[in-house]
Amino acid sequence: MIADLFRYRGLPLVAFFLVATTAHLCADVAVTSELSQTDVAVGEMVELRVSVSGAQGAEVPQELPVEGLQIRLTGQSSQVQMVNFKVSSSVIYTYAILPMRTGSFIIPSVPVAAGGRQFRTQSLRLQVHDRPASAPSAGSSYIPAPQVIPQPGVAQQQVRIPTRAQQPAPASGRLTFGEIDCPKKSLYAGEVVPVEIRFYFDARFPVQVRGKVDFGSEGVLIERFQDPKESREEVAGVLYNVLTFKTLLSAIKPGEIDIPPAKLDSQIQLPGAMPPGFDDPIFRQMMGGQSPFTQTKEIAVKTEPLHLDILQIPKEGRPGSFAGAVGQFYIDSLVQNPRPAPGDPITLSVKIGGKGNFKGMGAPVLTGTDGWRSYPPTDNFKETDALSLSGVRGFDYTLIAQQPKQSTPGVEFSYFDPSTAKYVTITSKPIPVDASPGTAVSPAQANTAVPEVTPGGSSETKEKVKEGEPLSDLSLHSWKSPIHRAGFLAVTIVMIVITAGLAGFLYWRDLEARGGTPASRRRRRLAELRSILDAEGSDAAALYDAAVEYAGLIAPPSEKRDSVVTSLTKRRDLLKYGVGGSRPVASSERQELLQTIKTLELSK
Amino acid sequence: MNRSILAPIALLLGVFASFSPLLAGVAEQVSTANNDLLSGHPLDALARYRTLLSDPVYLKEGSPELWYNRGLAEEKTGDIAAASLSFRRALLLDPGFAPAQHQLATVLATLGLPVPRDWKLGVYAIVLPERLMIVGSTVGWIGILLFVVLIFHGPRKKGLILLSLFLLIAGHGSAIFGSLIDPRRTAVDQAVVIAKSAPTMRSTPADNGSPGGTLTPGSVISVLSRNGAWWYVSAGPGQIGWIPSDTVTTLVPTAPSGVPAKGS
Repeated sequence: MIADLFRYRGLPLVAFFLVATTAHLCADVAVTSELSQTDVAVGEMVELRVSVSGAQGAEVPQELPVEGLQIRLTGQSSQVQMVNFKVSSSVIYTYAILPMRTGSFIIPSVPVAAGGRQFRTQSLRLQVHDRPASAPSAGSSYIPAPQVIPQPGVAQQQVRIPTRAQQPAPASGRLTFGEIDCPKKSLYAGEVVPVEIRFYFDARFPVQVRGKVDFGSEGVLIERFQDPKESREEVAGVLYNVLTFKTLLSAIKPGEIDIPPAKLDSQIQLPGAMPPGFDDPIFRQMMGGQSPFTQTKEIAVKTEPLHLDILQIPKEGRPGSFAGAVGQFYIDSLVQNPRPAPGDPITLSVKIGGKGNFKGMGAPVLTGTDGWRSYPPTDNFKETDALSLSGVRGFDYTLIAQQPKQSTPGVEFSYFDPSTAKYVTITSKPIPVDASPGTAVSPAQANTAVPEVTPGGSSETKEKVKEGEPLSDLSLHSWKSPIHRAGFLAVTIVMIVITAGLAGFLYWRDLEARGGTPASRRRRRLAELRSILDAEGSDAAALYDAAVEYAGLIAPPSEKRDSVVTSLTKRRDLLKYGVGGSRPVASSERQELLQTIKTLELSK
Repeated sequence: MNRSILAPIALLLGVFASFSPLLAGVAEQVSTANNDLLSGHPLDALARYRTLLSDPVYLKEGSPELWYNRGLAEEKTGDIAAASLSFRRALLLDPGFAPAQHQLATVLATLGLPVPRDWKLGVYAIVLPERLMIVGSTVGWIGILLFVVLIFHGPRKKGLILLSLFLLIAGHGSAIFGSLIDPRRTAVDQAVVIAKSAPTMRSTPADNGSPGGTLTPGSVISVLSRNGAWWYVSAGPGQIGWIPSDTVTTLVPTAPSGVPAKGS
């Protein structure tokens, strides 16, 4: 079979190359180590690289026990070098070192098993300080440690083969840092200056910001922070995610103030160590040499402290109309209703625009207010920038003329300009109006022409009271309208019942006086007629009179009734105007008559 | 016999005496509060007026003079929106109460709100709606009874029947008119914005609801419905939305004490 292999042309050459290469790779194994930084601050990540050359793989520990440091293996990468057709390979194991406290530390030598042999790297020194040592670019260079076994030859060409493209490892620079910008370090009390605070986060690691920016000190006022602006920025070759916060700062009292560093709490996801059971080299090789597990690190990102020198606003030359405004301002005014009805108020709107401490300023002062009654102004503010450093603050004065007026009062406003360190007074001239006092119900007249008003035009009380004076005589009135009161409704219902009862009673009495209703009169008449019919001794004429009337009343109009009434009428007339009308009828005839009446009753 | 008469009189005096200390106490407290107000202590006066208005005497009825005094105190403490509410309440109880009309016009002008100029004010100056209703109803019922008697029992003289019809129509017409112009008839669903900063109306009863305009402090709104801490209100045609209930107070006091639960 081997002879068959050698029948192919070139195969011996390949075999020779493989044997030669393998022999070369196994020949010299060298192990070196290096730190990305030797001087760092607490919380800054440092990288330890252990390079194993001359071997395709090695066994290294997952963690290195050092008191005050967390050292964990975070990944590995492979390198293949070719020098003058001599191929060599190396594997780099990367440890992340996280200093937990300050001090000088010795990174112990790392035991490495490669090519069937045991190696150890040289121990390294790491200095940890309590604050960042320098700019973010510091530490971006590697400081190689001496090799345990010097590698012969110089690499003329280096080919790096990353096992996991762009896989982040703890940075060569700082993971996070903060910067603060204040354009003025010396400012006047009350002066407002913008402050910009930037927090940088290494863009390779996921970050979660927790809480709000902690910034401030006694003696300074910090406005509420705007929503941060997010951006990306490269600092010394490292890409950072940047959160920029802006706010306004002003000082209350003069003197030197040291504001502690602005702080922002955050959580950073860093590559973590392999848990037990996953630290097999084959598994790591399958995962591209990187740990799929992460660890969460709580970091408070801080800026440098801010030192401010606060100056006192001079007392000399302070105008009477100065009410705390510091900045640069202008004034404008207008009247919304220059021709009010007599007694009606006018509204003088004064606009103070510009740049400065709008929240700390007082209202402008009215001048020449004789003949006017004024009230404290209502105010509003409309900002023209995101920080409310610039804008327009409006003051609306309600003015009521106490006498005929042709112009409004003037307006005066003073502020301190920190750029020139001088007070400035700006004025607004009176505006032409046509205003006059009103009638009795107007507030203006009540104060002048008619100083006293009656408590109520329709009220019982006629006590004269002066405007604005409290009253002593109290009266009670219901909160409900009469139509919503139970008493009023009850009285109304009672009155309806009484009226209905009275009407019914009077109607009944009138009816009684007129003999009752037709039906009752009919019933009574039928009863009377029936008694005549039933009487044994009635004479014939009276009997037939009763029978005719009874027949007409007892049954509704019909042919039968009419025929009965007609026959009864004929018999009556015969008896009445003939013979026998005064005698009682014969019993048989009487029975026949009653039978006829009964038939008629039954037929109704 | 004398004893039989004196016993009920003594009972009545006893009942009266049980109430008289309260009434006497009210008068004394009013006097003290007024003195506080006149001597430049409006906060003390306001506290006393609040206590007085929580007295059971004012459980069902209110005193326009007391609400007026309270409005004066609130005006002096700078709470103009609350003062407008107190003056409005005084005018609700007595619409013809000229000093309250006067002060309300002043505080509304300060708040930048229009001063109400209504023809009803002229009527209120002549006669109160309540008097119109009660007197009108009485006259109207007299007319009805006279008409009934004349129709069913009387001599049915044309002149008397016309007189009774006139009394009926004029009396009840006045009562209906008085009812229509009575501000208390519609005040039940009205409220006054008492927040010192203009509250924002929102499309939904939530802080993140889309804004639909603001309400000027001191303005009167109509409460359409209530949903816990949010009220659905109308501030005029097309101005409808939800506002936090703690920014407004009903025009008619809702608490049993006669004092609004909020803002007072």
